[in-house]
Amino acid sequence: MALVIGSMFAAGTYMILRPSLIRVVLGFGLYSNAANLLLIACGGYSDALQAPFLRDGADGYMDPLPPDIILTAIVISFAVGALLLIVSYQVYVDHGTDDPENLPRDPLS
Amino acid sequence: MNRWLILPVLVPFLTAVLLALLNGHPRLERAVNLVSCAGLTVFVYWLLGHVDAHGIQAMVIGGWFAPWGVAFVADRLAAIMLCLSMSVGTVVLVYTFFTVEPRQERYFFHPLLQVLLLGVNWSFITGDLFNLFVAYEVMLLGSYGVMMVGASKPQVRQTMAYIAINSIGSTLFVMGCGLVYATLGTLNMADIAQRSAQLTGERAALVTAVSMLLMVVFALKAAAFPVFFWLPDSYPIVPAGMNGYFAGMLTKVGVYSLMRLFVLCFRQPGAELVLEVLLVLSGLSMLFGVLGALCQWEVRKILSWHIISQVGYMLMGIGLAASGADVAQAGVVASIFCVVHNMVVKSSLFLIGGIAGRISGSQKLSEMGGIAGLAPGVSILFLVAAFSLAGMPPFSGFIAKFVLIRAGLAGGHGVVVFVSVVTSLCTLYSMSKIWNYAFWHAPSVSAPLGRYRAMMLPTAVLVLSSVLMGVVAEPFLRLANDAARDLLDPRAYQEAVLLPIPEPTTAQTSRLGGVP
Repeated sequence: MALVIGSMFAAGTYMILRPSLIRVVLGFGLYSNAANLLLIACGGYSDALQAPFLRDGADGYMDPLPPDIILTAIVISFAVGALLLIVSYQVYVDHGTDDPENLPRDPLS
Repeated sequence: MNRWLILPVLVPFLTAVLLALLNGHPRLERAVNLVSCAGLTVFVYWLLGHVDAHGIQAMVIGGWFAPWGVAFVADRLAAIMLCLSMSVGTVVLVYTFFTVEPRQERYFFHPLLQVLLLGVNWSFITGDLFNLFVAYEVMLLGSYGVMMVGASKPQVRQTMAYIAINSIGSTLFVMGCGLVYATLGTLNMADIAQRSAQLTGERAALVTAVSMLLMVVFALKAAAFPVFFWLPDSYPIVPAGMNGYFAGMLTKVGVYSLMRLFVLCFRQPGAELVLEVLLVLSGLSMLFGVLGALCQWEVRKILSWHIISQVGYMLMGIGLAASGADVAQAGVVASIFCVVHNMVVKSSLFLIGGIAGRISGSQKLSEMGGIAGLAPGVSILFLVAAFSLAGMPPFSGFIAKFVLIRAGLAGGHGVVVFVSVVTSLCTLYSMSKIWNYAFWHAPSVSAPLGRYRAMMLPTAVLVLSSVLMGVVAEPFLRLANDAARDLLDPRAYQEAVLLPIPEPTTAQTSRLGGVP
């Protein structure tokens, strides 16, 4: 699990640092999913643990809060990701390039 | 149980929905927006008085007691911040009536403004770390919307960078929340304060490391050194008027969260490390912010760079909380006073910058000039606000810096104090540069290019309240003093939030063993 999370963060960082807006969006997607996996790991994910329904003979149950946090985080990162995608597309339409280096310099100075 | 605490979140939310439905009727939209803002402003001032008189108010949502349910807590600091958020919000709204373009109003300017207010108010009043994250996201989505409302090419281009940097920050925030939950087993702020204080040894060091991650997140939102680079590029692009609210409020939400978490919440042995890092960052923020401002020649850019150096002053106050009890108290008081002063003065400077731009048709110092002759009233407002920012007596900036420097000297932090004094001088120089080029010199235009007189009224309200804070500082300082005491001693906060309830019997499992 730790390896998966780590490599997703590495890939996300690599994508975000590429000179291309669409890769920034995808990198953000990787980032947010890596964060969600991290939350699952924090919640004590294990095959031995069960969902939090009380019944006889259950030794322990999974903490329900991390999945709850993940659910909220997924919804939010979905909304932000969609917005990011639209805005980067609009930048592409406006300027004909998705390479930040080729965008016009700061419009104010 | 005080269920009225939901209002600062509920009212902007319902107003935003209503305004979205009313889209296309600008007059009606403006009226609804103004009534909602003014009404809520009255309420939050009442709340401040109530909290000041009767102690900290708390409510939990959905009948789940804290620390499990989401708590909304209004202590003095939160109430002060709500008052400022709504007052500055209302003033800025009135100002935008004269600056907003019909195209921007058609593209949902009014609902987006309310979403922004919703997020800001929410982050002030929430007492739960993950809820704070959600509030931040709402605030950020509102700010993305307001920043590119009307969608002109430069707006979209600059907003792209702003969204990208903030969404990365948000990812780190989620991770921070998860790791705090894994190490402490709670997200409720009062409970974090309680549990972290009991930690020892490696566990405490782990929590300090996790809290460092959150420190980076909030430093990013507050635009502190070294993560300030996004601010001077994005704030100048915000529509005139709204940039006053952005400059005044959004970075301060980051500062407020730093204050809330690192002064009130994280109390494990070794937590001082984060505060000491903040103290170093504060000096660097001051210096880099003001040096950045010195080499800019565009009014909005100069003012944006000054936000960074001003954030340095607030962080310095927070950083002093690592020192002894008296110094900590004085430092946090100074920090609160700096935040309050800066919200008012910075907003008013941006509003004045907008008026100056309206008069001379440009925001570049090389293309401005002679505004003192064209519009004497505006130049008086600018002079007062600029002197206040630089810390000249008798304005509020002087009191803020006086309290801060005295606390810094008492704590023996000579270097930071020296940096802050130098920064103050450079701020004065930078303000006199604007004064020199924009207000003196030969007039660039023979008569004001646009109608500006009506815009002066909301601006004057802000400037006058800044003067008031400087001249009648006593009640404000008393309030800041009480607010700082609430932060430094978490017992009152915990008593108000955490009800005496039986301990849970079933042990929850967490891989890092959060719940004992």
